[in-house]
Amino acid sequence: MSILAYNGGAMVAMKGENCVSIAADRRFGIQAQTVATNFEKIFEMGPHLYVGLPGLATDTQTVMEKLRFRKNFAMLSHMLYEKRFGPFFVEPVVAGLEPKTYEPFICNMDLIGCINQPKDFVVGGTASAQLYGMCEALWEPNLGPDDLFETTSQALINAFDRDAISGWGATIYIIEKDKVTIKNLKTRMD
Amino acid sequence: MSLAVKPHYPDYSNAPIQRSFNPYADNGGSVVAIAGDDFVIIGADTRLSAGFSIYTREQNKLFQLSPTTVLGCSGCWCDTLTLTRILNSRMQMYQQEHNKIMSTEACAQMLSTMLYYKRFFPYYISNVLVGLDNNGKGCVYSYDPIGHCEKATYRAGGSAGALLQPLLDNQIGQKNMLNVKQESVSQEKALSIIKDVFISAAERDIYTGDSIQIKIITKEGIKEEKFELRKD
Amino acid sequence: MSLAELCGMEDTGAFKFSNNLNDDITNFCGNFSSHIQLGVPPFQNPATDLANLAKDDFGRDIKIKFDHGTTTLGFMYQGGVILAVDSRATGGQFIGSQTMKKIVEINDFLLGTLAGGAADCVYWDRVLAKQCRMYELRNRERISVAAASKLMSNMVYNYKGMGLSMGMMLAGYDKRGPQLYYIDSEGTRTPDSGYKWDLTDEEAYDLGRRSIYHATHRDAYSGGIVRVYHMKPTGWVHIDNNDCLDLHYKYQAEKEDVENKI
Repeated sequence: MSILAYNGGAMVAMKGENCVSIAADRRFGIQAQTVATNFEKIFEMGPHLYVGLPGLATDTQTVMEKLRFRKNFAMLSHMLYEKRFGPFFVEPVVAGLEPKTYEPFICNMDLIGCINQPKDFVVGGTASAQLYGMCEALWEPNLGPDDLFETTSQALINAFDRDAISGWGATIYIIEKDKVTIKNLKTRMD
Repeated sequence: MSLAVKPHYPDYSNAPIQRSFNPYADNGGSVVAIAGDDFVIIGADTRLSAGFSIYTREQNKLFQLSPTTVLGCSGCWCDTLTLTRILNSRMQMYQQEHNKIMSTEACAQMLSTMLYYKRFFPYYISNVLVGLDNNGKGCVYSYDPIGHCEKATYRAGGSAGALLQPLLDNQIGQKNMLNVKQESVSQEKALSIIKDVFISAAERDIYTGDSIQIKIITKEGIKEEKFELRKD
Repeated sequence: MSLAELCGMEDTGAFKFSNNLNDDITNFCGNFSSHIQLGVPPFQNPATDLANLAKDDFGRDIKIKFDHGTTTLGFMYQGGVILAVDSRATGGQFIGSQTMKKIVEINDFLLGTLAGGAADCVYWDRVLAKQCRMYELRNRERISVAAASKLMSNMVYNYKGMGLSMGMMLAGYDKRGPQLYYIDSEGTRTPDSGYKWDLTDEEAYDLGRRSIYHATHRDAYSGGIVRVYHMKPTGWVHIDNNDCLDLHYKYQAEKEDVENKI
């Protein structure tokens, strides 16, 4: 078993028309056993910037703390975050709007910080094969915030329903220029 | 006695060489099947690959066992060839003994038993068997490598199975859709979904691509279609 | 004439291919004629050695993933035996099915539950069903649950150490009343010591349902639908199927109601 699959978790971020979404499941488990169903994997890093850290839960929290710390000392742009991610067993997913232009921005990295910055969607976590299949079929360009919400949540929920070690609720963030909507989704709890 | 390190020439080494035998290969490929009230559609991609190389772009992975039953196989191609050869012979033996063609249900059970025979040295195949039952209704049976069989109305198997199954859950099983009526899928919709899911699979799964062979089974007979996918 | 024959080697085992094409049609279906006869692998310890072959010519892993099932429950009470199961089948992390049938109806008075390797349990239950029917026809009476479970454990004992994986419960009703046996692939067979628990039928069903639901909530490898069966003196009855999704929100609402009253 990979150490990245020790705690389980699924994550997805998508680009829309002047908005981005990022969503993750809420399970915290130790292999087969579900310990908590209110575990947050997405963190606010700025007014229009969110970072999701699927992978080993202890590293999720450590990397988050380190990021918070760094950010307060020097206003790192999200492009530079990857320098700190080195040895941790997390595959970060970043979603936000560019600080000045409000251009949608998404990217993900592998655990040593190689950035992948596609035009459509990024996925991470244990259900990534399932998420790729869902997103590849459901995503289309220039989705508005409501459509983006629907597409992202359908992709995430249906994907983790086929993965044993992620699920148990989901949180989704829709990031727009003037507001951020956060919703908890009702899902299967088994 | 010299303390110098002896040079090492692998070609002249007389240490025993250990050879290993690798009976299994993963030749990839995906199969998707959808059943409706009076039809069943099965599609399989036509790429046969090994590692990062492609053996052929036009390998049919659907095997017609009877006028109403088709089997789709993906995984180890040599196992597939043996399994289907024996299945075909068994179908023929049944017909000659009983003077009738084996029903889809019976065929599904026979396949399960045959797979289980090799419990300790399994066929490495992901099987999806489709056909019309005795009432003309479409049905899909999916198998694990040692013959655990489950009847369903839709199924994705093979190398892109994990990518495609949640999509079928959503689009056909209507999972996680609120306020929708459960209704059986029409033939046109099933066909277009099969094409769509294979386009998605070809984007992300390197073992799936080139084209898909589709068989549409109704009581009128079996219609065949081909649909091109990306070839990279 | 082949070179081997010309050299007078036709009787030498290594060069002799006794399997011609006609034979292998029957050889590959050995269990069609003798159901307990499975194919012998060309290596010694299939439980451990199969993993050594799980690489292809390129050195990549071949992952032969069998469907597995997990959560099953059986208990006896004054009204008979209750069996409750979930319906998830997993191959590795992937959920292969959410609708698997983990209770096998062997006959009207015998039910088997299925945990461990799905194919193992289903196959051997099917063989057992045939043997139980043969017993009925020969002896003109139903087989006792004790005898059926003994048949089962003897059959799987032949394959002990070969890597079969099953832990099944056999529930039945015979001349001696309700019976519940546990059999596993190691050959263990134990009767349930028998609760005399004064539950009503409804309470017993609810106990089974809740137990399975809580297991599905905590355990990643169980889930789907909760099925409840009741073994009565008149044979088995399928009580109901409940989706875990509905059960969760129902139980949660009940819990909140109770909390609100306090």
